[in-house]
Parts: sequence; C-alpha cells; structure tokens
Amino acid sequence: MRLKRTVIAASAIAALTLTAACGGGGGGGEDPAGGDFKAGGGAGAGKDATAEGPLEIPSDAKKGGTITVLSNNAPHTLDPTRTYYTDSGAIMSGLVTRSLTQYVYDEESGDSVLVPDLATDLGQVSEDGLTWTFELKDGIKYEDGTEITAEDVVYGIKRSFAIDTLTDGPTYQTTFFKDGQKYKGPFADTDAELKKLPDYDASAGWYGGEDYDGVEADGNKVIIHLAQPFPELDYYASFPVFSPIPKAKDKDPLAYESHPMATGPYKFESYKPGNSLKLVKNEHWDPDTDPGRFQAADAFDFKFAQDTAKLENQILGDKGAAQAMMTYDDVTPPTYKSIKENAPDNLIEGTSPCTYMYRPDQTKIKDKLVREAISWAYPYQAAWKASGEIVGVTIQPGTSLLPPGTAGRVEYQYPEGQDGQTTDPEKAKALLKEAGAEGFELKWHYQRDDEQSVAKSDQMVKGFEAAGFKATPVASTDETYRDDESNLDAPVNLRYGGWCSDWPSGGSWFPAQWIGSNANKAGMPNPTNFKEADADAKQAEILKMDADEVPAAWGEFDKWMQETYMVEINAGYDANAFIKGSQIGGVVNDPVKGMPSFSIMYLK
Amino acid sequence: MTVSEVLIQGPDPEINPEPRSGEVAGRSPMRIAMDRLLSDRVAMICAGIVLLFVLIAIFAPLLCKLFGVEVRAGDPVTDTDSFNYPVIGPPNYGFTWEAPLGLEPNSGNDLLAEWFYGARTSLLVATIATVVSTIAGVVLGLIAGYSRGWGDRVITFVIDLFLTLPFLLVAIAISPMLVERWRENPTMLDNASLIALIVILSIFGWMGLARLIRGEVISLREREFIEAAHVLGMPTYRILFKELLPNLVAPIVVSFSLSLPATIAAEATLAYLGVGVTGRPSWGQTILRAQNWFDEYPLFLYAPIVGIVVLVFALNLLGDAIRDAFDPKSFR
Repeated sequence: MRLKRTVIAASAIAALTLTAACGGGGGGGEDPAGGDFKAGGGAGAGKDATAEGPLEIPSDAKKGGTITVLSNNAPHTLDPTRTYYTDSGAIMSGLVTRSLTQYVYDEESGDSVLVPDLATDLGQVSEDGLTWTFELKDGIKYEDGTEITAEDVVYGIKRSFAIDTLTDGPTYQTTFFKDGQKYKGPFADTDAELKKLPDYDASAGWYGGEDYDGVEADGNKVIIHLAQPFPELDYYASFPVFSPIPKAKDKDPLAYESHPMATGPYKFESYKPGNSLKLVKNEHWDPDTDPGRFQAADAFDFKFAQDTAKLENQILGDKGAAQAMMTYDDVTPPTYKSIKENAPDNLIEGTSPCTYMYRPDQTKIKDKLVREAISWAYPYQAAWKASGEIVGVTIQPGTSLLPPGTAGRVEYQYPEGQDGQTTDPEKAKALLKEAGAEGFELKWHYQRDDEQSVAKSDQMVKGFEAAGFKATPVASTDETYRDDESNLDAPVNLRYGGWCSDWPSGGSWFPAQWIGSNANKAGMPNPTNFKEADADAKQAEILKMDADEVPAAWGEFDKWMQETYMVEINAGYDANAFIKGSQIGGVVNDPVKGMPSFSIMYLK
Repeated sequence: MTVSEVLIQGPDPEINPEPRSGEVAGRSPMRIAMDRLLSDRVAMICAGIVLLFVLIAIFAPLLCKLFGVEVRAGDPVTDTDSFNYPVIGPPNYGFTWEAPLGLEPNSGNDLLAEWFYGARTSLLVATIATVVSTIAGVVLGLIAGYSRGWGDRVITFVIDLFLTLPFLLVAIAISPMLVERWRENPTMLDNASLIALIVILSIFGWMGLARLIRGEVISLREREFIEAAHVLGMPTYRILFKELLPNLVAPIVVSFSLSLPATIAAEATLAYLGVGVTGRPSWGQTILRAQNWFDEYPLFLYAPIVGIVVLVFALNLLGDAIRDAFDPKSFR
C-alpha cells in the first residue's frame, strides 16, 4: 500500500508507539530497537470468520451530528478500483464501499481483525489452492435500493485489470489471477483499443472485454480462479477492488469516482476532487449484515488540502464546531507538546505498518560495501528532527524491513550493530576504504520549495561528507517530487520511499517491491532495481509454500536479502499521532492502515 | 538660469550668513534639499537606523563571530530535545548569551546568525534590484521622452506590456524552471535563484519611474535651454545626460528611496512563498518556518518580523522626508 503523503520529508510516518517513548528523554536515543513495542500492535494478524452484525454503538454515543475531518493532503482518487493509498482506502473501506472481507478494530487486543463483509465467511479455498469461492450475504443493497449481485462484484474485479485506464490501483490480480498478465479489463475489447495500451506486444495474447473466466459469478457466489496459489487472498479481498460496481453506472470509467455507488453506511453527497468530500447516511445500508461498521453520525465532512497550522490550531482550540473536528495528519512538534500537556485524550497515537527506506540504485551503487557504508553514514536522528519528525512518536528507529506486527517478522540488525539510529562516520569511512570508493558521490532528490526537506537534505550532506562521501542533493519541487523519484533516468543514485503492508505478511512486501522482473522499468515498480537470480528463485519458492509457512518464510527472506545484498537502508518505521476534537468518540488508530478507523466513529 | 532654480525654492532661499559682503553665494538645488533633509530630525533618526542595518548586513560574519554564533551550524541531535525544542534559550529556558535570539526548533540552527545573514540577503537583493531598475527606468524614460515619434511609441508599448505581466505569477513560474536547469548543481542553483530574484525584482520595478521621467522630459524638452543646446549642435546623449538629467534628480531620488523598502518587502514575500532565495538565510523563509511555532515560541517569528518592519518603516519615513526635501512646495 502506498503512503498517503506525497511529501515524505514534511510528513509523517507512523511507527509503532513505544510504551516508553513519550517520556521525553534526550532525543529518544537509547531505546533498543524492537522488543518494547506495545503489546498487541500486531497489525491485523487475527481472523474471525464467524463475526456477525450488527456492531453495537457505544453507550456514550449521541445519534446524529457531522464529523469534520481536515487534512493537509488530498486523496489522489476515490475510485474503488484505484484506491491504493492509506487515506483513500480508509475513507472508502471504512464508510462507503463494502468489500468481500473487512477489518474490524478489536479494543481488547488493540488490533484489527479480518472479518467477513459482503461474504458470509472469509472465502473457501480449493484443495489445490487455485480456486477461491466467496458466498454473498442476501439482501444487501446499493444506495438506490437495488440489490447487489455477484455479477457486480465480478465486474468490479474485472475492472481492476484495466491498470492502464484506471491507474495507481493495487495489482496483485495481474500476478496471481488466471491470465492476469493477458487480460486487460472490460474496457479495451477490440484489438485496436488494445494496441493503444502502453507496452503493447502482439505476441503476448492480450485480450479484453467482459469475456474473462478468471472470475465468475454463480448465483450469489463469486468464484476466483488463480494462476498460482495466493494464500493471502482473503486479506486482499478487503480492498475496495472487491466491492460491487454496477456496470450500468460505469459508462465512463474515469468519471465513476465522482459518485461511486455506496454499499456502506454512508454515501457521497458531493465530491470535489482535491478539495472536499461530503458523506451522508445511506438509508439502504443494513446494520444486521455488517459486523464492522455502524452509522452513528449523520454525516462526514472531509476537507482536503487545508493549511496545517490552521487546522491544528482549530482542533487544538476545541471550541464550538471544532469539537467535532479531527485530522488524520501527523501532529507537528509544537502541537504535540501542547496537546500532550493540555488534552492528552484528544491525541491518538498508534502504529502504522510502514517502513521508510533509503534505496540505493543497484545499477549505480554496485558495491555492497558502499551500501553498508551509507547505512553507517546516514544521520538518522538529525535527519528525522530536521524534517520535523518527533522521534518515538511519528517515527521509530527501524531494523528489519518488515515493520513490527507483521506475521513471521524476524528481528535482526544488519550491518551488525546497526540498530536503526546509529550514525558512525568512522565505520563508514573504513568500509569505503575497503571498497576503494573514497569520495563516492551520493545523489538524492530533495524538494527545494519545502523548508523541511531542505533542512533534512542539509543534515544529510553534513552526515555523508563526514563519512567520506561526496554529497550532491539534486533539486526537485513539491509538485514534481513524486514523478522525479519514480523516474528511471533521474540523475540520482539514492531514492527515498516508504512502503506499507497491504496485509500483515511479507507477501505484500517482497513480490511487490523487490522482484527482479520489475527492475529497470519505467515508473520504478522495483525502486532499487534489485535483480538477483537467487533472490527471485527464493521468492517464487515461498509463494508456492503452504499458507501457514509463508509468513515465517518471508521473515527469513527479509533477513537473508539484507544480509546478502544490503538492498535498503532502513530510515525508520512510521508511527501515527493525530489529534481530534473532544466530542468525537471511537477514534482509534487502525494498525492495518495506519489511519483512524472511520467506521466506528461517533459524536459524544 | 536653469529651470530647477526657479522651481526649487527653499523656505528661505536667500540664507546667507553675510548678506552684506556683496557676494551672493550660489547654492545648487541639491544642496538646498540636503540642508532641508539634515535639519529633519525624523529623517536623521531613520537614516541612522538604515545605516545600522547596512552595517549589520556588511559585517554579518564579524557580528556572528562577536556573538560566538555560527550560521546554519545546528545539530538536531545535540541542540534539540525529544519534542524537537531547543535545549538552551527560549522558549523553555531563559535568555542565554550562547544564543541571544534562541535556537531554531527541529534543526537547532542559531537564530541570531540567521537574522544577521537575513538582513544581508534582504539589503543585497533590494539594493541591487532597486539600483538596476532605477537606472533602467531613467535611461528608458529619457529616451522615450526625448525621442518624439516611434522610439517613444515602442518604449511606451514595452512599459505597458511589462505593467500587464503579473509579477507574482512570473516569479512563481520562474522557480521550477531554474530547478529544472540546475538541479544537479546545488551551488549554481542557489546562485541562480539569487540572480533570478534580483532580475525579476528589477524588471518589474522600472516602469513607474520610466513613465515619470518620460513625462518630465516631455515638459522639459520644449524649454529654451534645451532648444538652445539643440541649436548649438550638442549631441543628443549630451543633451539627455548633461542638460535633462540634472533636472530630474529630485524625482529619481524620491523614487529610489520609496522603491527600496517595497523591494525588501517583496523579497520577503517571495521567500515566504518558497520562490525566493534558497541556500542562504532570509527573513521571509524564517517567517515561513516560524509560523507553526508561534503559540509556543513567539520570539522565533517576532525576530524576522521586527527586522522587516523596522527596516521598511525607517526607509519609508526616510523616503518621505527626502521627497519633502526635494519638493519646493512642501513645508514642515
């Protein structure tokens, strides 16, 4: 899953809240990585196939009212098929669209649990692991009162294959589903239209249109046929990709996002992309069928692209209408301090399944010793602070690539002794000398029009130069930063990025980021251009394993990959800290999405 | 007798300490204006303040050494606490000579050094831009006013054209172009952004003065002394610069002294918007960074604002005083 924020430096990550982290010691320096993460921060490993609605509304809830959600960011798109950022995913899955499965927050464990949503259970998998069957509940209706059908879910899934028309969505279906590489979605159904798609290859046997037998509807059952086993499909089925979309309403696929048909407790009243989203009650939503959501407030009013200082002051003031306001942006240091002292109840801290990484380009930084040297040279603490992160609150030193809470995660330190926050220029110098690469030039992008990005870049220059590198920051701007970072030909050899679990296992990490077949491709789906035959072979092997062995195998793979190739420099786990007005209740951090869980929010 | 001597009459034009000596001391209009200016107490206080800022700007490195501070040398790890607040000085601790204006949160950079160098950037940019735009305005205004016919029309057209260009839009649009051009060379990029800023402020600052000068020249060029010079066969450039220009000193000085503070404010505005200078301290940038911290750490925001307000206010008052001094019709 991609992080919601485009401006990574100025932003927030959310790591795991250390129990001891808020004490305010000198720079949060001494916490041994791992070990003391809050118990139960295990992002969504649990499942409950028998959960049933309705979900009880807490006794202190007052029916009605509008919850206003402010953010400095704006979702890229709200089309259910394209929803792949943490913010849009949380809004759509939490309030508007129902998928085959969903997560529900469990207060006792502080964790999210996978439960059925539209389906009666978490799916039945065939003996060979290649066929999944989901049976839909009866009587679930769209916002206009018409009943949803299995065909609509099938259409929604087919739609997700049109990755060139409906860009930026998740793409696991193209890897795992039958004919995933050949089927191009329902829109391009003639050869002429297929030829217009990028990378068209006449010999690849591409086809489009409605005629696809990878997913079929049988009565009220949705049947999915796979090309290779996908043991974690039940997690993936919680994505809005697996929500019903009535074909009749999808005449112009790019315009569907302006009003996706609601199946959840709220429906679109008005949506101005990049600006605002108003959700009102969906009368046709039936609480008895839904174990994960309730409908306590009358409306949700999202306001995007708001000024951070202004929105924080409003919520911090907690007067009048601001009592029903909240934000899902990470809190800035001055506001954190004042809310911590004055209204700790209005500060929600929690974990987020994301890791930030500096990603050396394998085609440009070929020597493993140099990559190890970078991990000793990088000024972890200085860079976090300069970019406005609060160490221990919005960011957490990281070791393994898989964030804590991931099933099967193996805790390790590589290079030996690197606990995710130690800068040691001497070690870096020694490694560079050993590699014969003294004065190696590191180049990375920074946003010149973002003060925090500049400040961070300044610290990096200092750190790298102290360690014997030549440091050259390459200017970019807020507007072009994301494109520049994913530009294969960009004049940089060190990229920065974050990755979040799509579900709590390495299966949503390694094949998505470090598979050799994605290396050296436009758009940088493999951000380090990492391509090693033995690593690819190992990944293929793990995908074939039994479901219960898979998570541990990914954990081991994480360790093996770093120790063998030193692919990434872990720049910290994301953590969440956001603020709300005093009247909003039920605000918890969903550790699976790293976002507040909108589905169980109410006004007191 | 030139026209200015008729125009400019001080309150007491014939002050002469020894009127009976039989000798009439000639005093140039400039001299008269300077005398009036020197006797204006407000103007002198303002001139002192401006001089102080100029000295700060020139001797910023020395001042930093004197106070024992260094520009942009903060270490976030040792200089800020776990909330990213500075570990010495305001807002959590009392005044300290180690950092008289405090340290910047997040980065730990010293704010006094930032302020000194911010003054330097402000004055450097504003002075160069104002000088360049004044020279351009004067030259083009002279040529336009004196060349009847197409020369005038072309220049007037160019003036109108530049007046229609939206200043902010151009400034904001130039910034990404520079990034694109010098993205791999940070030092060049910082210099380019400084030069581009000066150029932008210059090319948007000359039109008003050019129009003013053109109007003045049109009214002067029909006077006898210009006709005479023309008839005597004086070359045009000599007429422009030896005959006309001396008569235009007053509007030029006034225009210069009033556009300087406006340029300082514009520089800060652009820096605040993120399209001004980068890589060197600037008050506008400090204000941008400080605004989120205002509730907890007001000094961070006040220091650059006080700098801008005092400097611009002093320059404006000084400009007004200069105008009064050069304007024969005003008496104080």
